[in-house]
Amino acid sequence: MAGERGGLPGHWAVLQSPDPRAGWGCRVDSVGVRLPAGRLTTSELMSRTRHRTRIQLERLTGVHERHVVEPGENSFTLATGAARDCLAHSEHRASDIEMLISCSITRSTGGMSQSFEPPLSLYVKQAIGATQAINFDLSNACAGMLTGVFVLQDLIARGEISCGMVVSGEYISQLGWNAAHQIRSLFSPQLASLTLGDAGAAVIVERAPQGAPGIDVIGFATLAEHSRLCVAYPSTVGPGAQMYTRSRKLQKAAITDMVPLLADVLGHAGIDMADIDYLIPHQTSARAIRKGTAEFARQLGASPKHVVVNIEENGNTASTTLFVALHKYLEEQRVHKGDRVMLLSLASGIEVGIAVMTIDSQVNRYGRTH
Amino acid sequence: MGARIEAASALASHGWHQPTARRLADAAARECLARAGREASDVDLLINAGVYREDNMGEPALAALVQEDIGANLGRPANGSHGTFSFDLANGACGVISAIHLQAGLLRSGVIRLGLIVTSDVDPGHDGNGSDLVRPTGGALLLGWDDGIAGFADFHVETFPEYESLLTSGLTWHARRGPHVPLAGAGHSQMVVNEQPGYQARCADCAREATGRFLGRLGMSIGEIDLLVPAPAAPEFLDRLRVGLGVPGDRVAFTAEDMAGAYTSGPIAALEAARRSGRLGEARNVLLLAVGAGITVTLALYRQTPPGAPPA
Repeated sequence: MAGERGGLPGHWAVLQSPDPRAGWGCRVDSVGVRLPAGRLTTSELMSRTRHRTRIQLERLTGVHERHVVEPGENSFTLATGAARDCLAHSEHRASDIEMLISCSITRSTGGMSQSFEPPLSLYVKQAIGATQAINFDLSNACAGMLTGVFVLQDLIARGEISCGMVVSGEYISQLGWNAAHQIRSLFSPQLASLTLGDAGAAVIVERAPQGAPGIDVIGFATLAEHSRLCVAYPSTVGPGAQMYTRSRKLQKAAITDMVPLLADVLGHAGIDMADIDYLIPHQTSARAIRKGTAEFARQLGASPKHVVVNIEENGNTASTTLFVALHKYLEEQRVHKGDRVMLLSLASGIEVGIAVMTIDSQVNRYGRTH
Repeated sequence: MGARIEAASALASHGWHQPTARRLADAAARECLARAGREASDVDLLINAGVYREDNMGEPALAALVQEDIGANLGRPANGSHGTFSFDLANGACGVISAIHLQAGLLRSGVIRLGLIVTSDVDPGHDGNGSDLVRPTGGALLLGWDDGIAGFADFHVETFPEYESLLTSGLTWHARRGPHVPLAGAGHSQMVVNEQPGYQARCADCAREATGRFLGRLGMSIGEIDLLVPAPAAPEFLDRLRVGLGVPGDRVAFTAEDMAGAYTSGPIAALEAARRSGRLGEARNVLLLAVGAGITVTLALYRQTPPGAPPA
């Protein structure tokens, strides 16, 4: 019969946790980021809206500025830059990567505003020299990268592969410009588009040595009754897309369902919320994160020691937010060996993804000591 | 013991008014579940592997919309029950086999107990600049676990990036010309599909090479394959592949005429044709093969023999 690493039955989330009897442990080996040099402040963006909006976006969301691509940069270059940075922080070579998954919402290349075929992952693996890797693209809105980690976790735990990379390049600031052309008031469904920023991120997931810490649990559920609360499709205002979000309803639905999902996943792994040293949630707005975590604490009766918010300097970088934030905390040596980090995805769908990992020696490859 | 095909369904949009990828995927999923006698709420993982959609929506994943349409655990399940996880996988015409690869592994681990794969595409050139690469079709495949057969156990993927420019597709921005018109957009994104001459022939050559290496790794010969399930079904690909591999026509699952032009649904359409003819049920070793842009070749060996039994 099949193995028993899963949480079925009786669990809402489709989840995986290591079983020392049944398979290999799995851990994040390294994280890489490519932030474009260009910066756009919120005041500059809001000064260029077509209509006079009177929206105090920075006060409302906490976004002071975001990185934006410069000429010649796109989803492919951001993804490739992040993949190279990830390898630079890893002991693995590109030739060790057995599977490469590209998970970005945007897939712009030099010639296309959104490339469909071949998959972007093929271009990335060729660019970094991981030519032997199995590749495909995966699309799961802002939960894309964590979904990629979920996929790799299973392949590694069964011993089918020992090392894989998840990569994403988000050239998504175009949505902000398209929204700025149309937005009229605080109640516009395009308000969330104004918080978006560009970034590339990559993560190498590998087989953990026997007994070494790694990914403690990872689980996902799709709350499809709320599937239409955030939609994006090609714009008629300019290149790229337009995104329409019913933010308040999305936040309310997410908080309502996320609490029992968190209890479900943490309960399966025997972890208490108070055991979490750093909670890294999807970066939508500082206010929404504060409200959400306060509600988690109220309902679960415990809080993580730290909640990571880096939206002030990066904005919402879509599928890359979790790993951009983790990379920053590794570089700043704020997370230490033995710390427990929770990554919390919230994405259109509604997709809820939860991963808890224990940080190991990878911290030694970041910061000034590296 | 292995991942087993519980049911498959493939359909074309003949007679439909303005077929959409979403409606095609929904219809295929419902038919597939009905054939297996399963409820949508039984599905743990839903992967959509389609590529071309009428609206080119960037988010959410189409899989989440299909999950909503078929009613698979939309919200918090009752105590003791499970939820559904959905996402999209994009690997062109090879997406179905990539999705089978992931789901077969998750079934083996016990992470899921029932996986549904849906595919659908509509003509990407609906505004007049596409190609005849795709005709509106949909497919669905339901995978479960079976202790009695080896099932999906072996997979093989190869890419031939030297041919990556032979098939490319994507959206390009076209600014509207002429004077400003209130409420009119500034332009639109148009899907451009570019298939170079000789693409299908190169696909056949790459598939032949990759198949040889795959079977060699397994210690098998092409003679031990009882049924080849290939995609695409284009004659310029399939005839060359058959000759190259030396597979007689009675061991090939030919896609039904009404499903000609199936794109990501191609492997499911070929499987469905073999099921209808009864040849799928009789075959011990079934080789699924899909070739797409990249050039990417994906292969899956499906063994309907007891676990541990010799391949032939």
